[in-house]
Amino acid sequence: MDEDMIFDPSLKKKKKKKTGFDIDAALAEQENTSVEAPAETGDVDVPDDDNLDLDTFGKKKKKKKKFFNLEEIENALPETPPAEEPEPQEEDAVDDLVLEIDFSKSKKKKKKKNNVDDLTVEDDIKGEDQENVEDVHGDWIGSDRDYTYDELLERVFDIMREKNPSMVSGKKQKFIMRPPQVVRIGTKKTSFANFTEICKTLHRQPKHLLDFLLAELGTSGSVDGNSQLIIKGRFQQKQIENVLRRYIKEYVTCHTCRSPDTILQKDTRLFFLQCETCGSRCSVASIKSGFQAVTGKRAAIRAKTA
Amino acid sequence: MSIQNLNTFDPFADAIKSSEDDVQDGLVHVRIQQRNGRKTLTTVQGLSSEYDLKKIVRACKKEFACNGTVVEHPEYGEVLQLQGDQRENICQWLTKSGLVKPEQLKVHGF
Repeated sequence: MDEDMIFDPSLKKKKKKKTGFDIDAALAEQENTSVEAPAETGDVDVPDDDNLDLDTFGKKKKKKKKFFNLEEIENALPETPPAEEPEPQEEDAVDDLVLEIDFSKSKKKKKKKNNVDDLTVEDDIKGEDQENVEDVHGDWIGSDRDYTYDELLERVFDIMREKNPSMVSGKKQKFIMRPPQVVRIGTKKTSFANFTEICKTLHRQPKHLLDFLLAELGTSGSVDGNSQLIIKGRFQQKQIENVLRRYIKEYVTCHTCRSPDTILQKDTRLFFLQCETCGSRCSVASIKSGFQAVTGKRAAIRAKTA
Repeated sequence: MSIQNLNTFDPFADAIKSSEDDVQDGLVHVRIQQRNGRKTLTTVQGLSSEYDLKKIVRACKKEFACNGTVVEHPEYGEVLQLQGDQRENICQWLTKSGLVKPEQLKVHGF
């Protein structure tokens, strides 16, 4: 971590110099930051603020690169907002597909849109942050007092969050997926429009999810040509969401570490859930529709069987 | 003098007992089925055959003000059927009367 932090400012400096960018103010601040950065590395345990700083560093790199290229090509107009616009959108798309989302992304997006002008702003923010940090750590460093349990606990979690954000469960392991699009067809059927898409996001066979849905809802249904699921009966989006949530809990997330990064494999008639994160492997309940009462017309059934 | 370690222990005692319960995993499944229109049907599968399901259904009918029957099924044994969405009611009632433990209940449907 320390190395990174030492490393980053220098990188940033180089790039800034290369660009020969017109912001004198930025240069001045750059010096500020380079002065401040070592101080920061001095007291290692900077939790959230470090993250912020690292983020901004990364961003600056990107920005600089971009503008560098652009300048080479055009030799003019350092600020080209349209060139940057597409990227955040792409990221949006990626966000939707990818299940886990760092919450740093939202920050990035905001700042990217703001363009170069906010370099100064960012630096200002950083300055503030570091002041805050020093405030926070002032009472850590100077005094010999006993640390309270809460403080230490917070510190440990902050460090954990900072060093590998994926480890701290609950924070990063957010499971975000598109809501199911449920539309009524006529009065008796329901269409689940993005069924295959959801199967893909969950990395499960459509057949498996289909079996589960139909067994849970106690109805019949099938996938039609447009890869949407047609279910018999009236269902609302909320109800389908509920069932999907149950499916995810049982068949997608690892029972041990709750990571969604799992593989469902069939082994001697039983389904096993293999976790890619923690390596655990456990069997999951088989899908059974159980007892189905007669709801249709009995005469029709009798006619069919006889 | 009895030494606990030397006592013979039948490892299959549990298995035999639970298989007698005519339920695969001791779970009581509460399901809902849609009928025509807004009508629904609640089925309760997996209640222990020690209990007199007829009496249970009689009590439930009175309690929830709905009709109901006991259906005999070759695979699942006796199954309780109640008219309407009685999932909440039946779960509460079964746990309150002590027939089923809350962790044994499994509610299906939306």
